[in-house]
Amino acid sequence: MTDCGCDKAKAELEEYLHQELTEQDFRDVSEHLAGCEDCSAEHLVGITMTLKMKKACQETAPAELKAAVLAAIATRA
Amino acid sequence: MVAAVLDRPSTGPGIDFSAMSTRSTLPPEELRALFEEQAVPFMDQLYAAAMRMTRNPADAGDLVQETYVKAFAAFGQFQQGTNLKAWMYRILTNTFINGYRKNQRNPYQNAIDDLEDWQLGSAESITQGRSTRSAEAEAIDHLPDSDVKDALQSIPEDFRLAVYLADVEGFAYQEIADIMKTPVGTVMSRLHRGRRLLRERLADYARDRGFTVPEPATRSKR
Repeated sequence: MTDCGCDKAKAELEEYLHQELTEQDFRDVSEHLAGCEDCSAEHLVGITMTLKMKKACQETAPAELKAAVLAAIATRA
Repeated sequence: MVAAVLDRPSTGPGIDFSAMSTRSTLPPEELRALFEEQAVPFMDQLYAAAMRMTRNPADAGDLVQETYVKAFAAFGQFQQGTNLKAWMYRILTNTFINGYRKNQRNPYQNAIDDLEDWQLGSAESITQGRSTRSAEAEAIDHLPDSDVKDALQSIPEDFRLAVYLADVEGFAYQEIADIMKTPVGTVMSRLHRGRRLLRERLADYARDRGFTVPEPATRSKR
């Protein structure tokens, strides 16, 4: 075990990425990442996964579906 | 330095309706107009989630339509000023779990949360060292969308849902807990395990496409 902050940072990277840390923990991890290449490389993998998922999962609902939903609501109003 | 964190979309307009419910204040035609104005803009996002849940356009369309019909029927109870998107996702997820999922239910699914970490693989990150991690990030970044969707599709459903809601939709852990009707601790566990499995799968795809991603020392059980 070391006290360089890597253990704490690595354990909290996922919550850091998802903005679930307290303000203090968020600051601690941010500061650590700024000075630690190893942890920021690990964070880069995490953030890349998230951004790739966001991009890959974009869809546009078919026009027929939109029309069908509006029609279904209209008959029930 | 890497961008610190992802933006979380704002949860709604800045209008405070002070938690009044909708029905008592509006005649039916205005209720419908309000529903169309507020709920219909989420359709692309709900359809995208339904596509990841059902895996095909026909079922995704049916699921979204059923979700909207149920949501409209219950719209009178929706508290104006609270998060409509999360409310719509709760109905979508419920409808999926109670209806569509039964048809394709995998018995393995029920036990997935009970697996110990050692059964899923090491808790350590799958690659070691800064340079290999940078190579891993770059390889993942070059994968086509189809690989990313296939990888997401390949992980157990409850994990996939948690990852989708957190990473694609940007919901807070507590909101995901409400949507999936599980404790926050279970959400965190599903996210952690889901993202680890996804990372392994993405590394497999990257290797198949000729990127250099080191084989991990330990792997999850397939």
